[in-house]
Amino acid sequence: MIASGIKRGTAELAVLSVLENGSRHGYEIARRIEQQTNGSLGFTLAALYPMLYRLEMQKLIRGSWETGPNGRRRRCYRLTAEGKRKLSPLRKEWSRLFVALRKLAGVVNA
Amino acid sequence: MPDWNEFVRHQLVGIELNQGEMADVVEELAGHLEEAFRNLRCQGITEQEAVQRALQEVRSWQELRVSIESSRGREPFMNKRVSQFWFPAFLTLFLSQVALMVVQEFGPRNYLSPATSHPRMLPQTAVFAAWVAALPLIGALGAYLSGRAGGPAKLVFSAITFPVFPFLAFVVIGLPIAMLFDDHVARGLSFPLFLVTFSAWVVCPALALVAGGWFLRHFAKRSGRQNIAGN
Repeated sequence: MIASGIKRGTAELAVLSVLENGSRHGYEIARRIEQQTNGSLGFTLAALYPMLYRLEMQKLIRGSWETGPNGRRRRCYRLTAEGKRKLSPLRKEWSRLFVALRKLAGVVNA
Repeated sequence: MPDWNEFVRHQLVGIELNQGEMADVVEELAGHLEEAFRNLRCQGITEQEAVQRALQEVRSWQELRVSIESSRGREPFMNKRVSQFWFPAFLTLFLSQVALMVVQEFGPRNYLSPATSHPRMLPQTAVFAAWVAALPLIGALGAYLSGRAGGPAKLVFSAITFPVFPFLAFVVIGLPIAMLFDDHVARGLSFPLFLVTFSAWVVCPALALVAGGWFLRHFAKRSGRQNIAGN
């Protein structure tokens, strides 16, 4: 598992990237991130929802209630146009950071 | 299966959300816990164990309440920037001005005999020295307030040196402008006098305020270390 300090910085990118392929509810977002990163990144409820609410306040994602297969209502989130616009520079920013870290500390060969 | 809605509602009692928002948050978080629980049960885990594991999603409900309030734009009475910087900054500014007025009014000048001292400089110097001597206390108070609100060192020292900014603005901006428009000022102000003015109204008060703040932080750190050691 990645340390929580590093993970916190990547959280926004992770959530926005997962939502890029369609709308998902909170639990699904957390599981999808965990699966796609082979368990390196995992979000607990306590970490995930405050961030989802914050991203929603920033109008990067939008939530709407839908009814799940078990009849329970669940809130599904999708990327807004602003969120889509934000994703590309965010990716570039992280990419630059990784390149810089690679040069500095040989992260790739670590 | 536990009543997740009831459980989450109970954990979130006291959260600063309106009824509609509270109901939405409770339903959403309860849904997450229920789904986690169901998945664990599908993996063959016992109900008790599944409940325990689902609950591990939240280490501290108190922290979660604060995070949700903050993420939904519910700021406390004073937000961080106000409590860490603006409040201590304006308080130290106000107190430093009050101290200056008090020293001018009731300070040593009234008790110095012009016959035994320099006719012009000494009373002013005495007033100034008394004022500067009071500033470390004010700096310490500002540092205490800013530090208590969780302000980092940079913000603490910015807040406690705030009272010198009006003087700094006067010396750096006001005086040159006055020199442009007033011949008396232009003729009367030499470079050494400018340096003395700058030192007296900017450097010395800033150092006095920082000294108070530094002492308090140093003392607080030491007593914190002793407490940890004591525990």
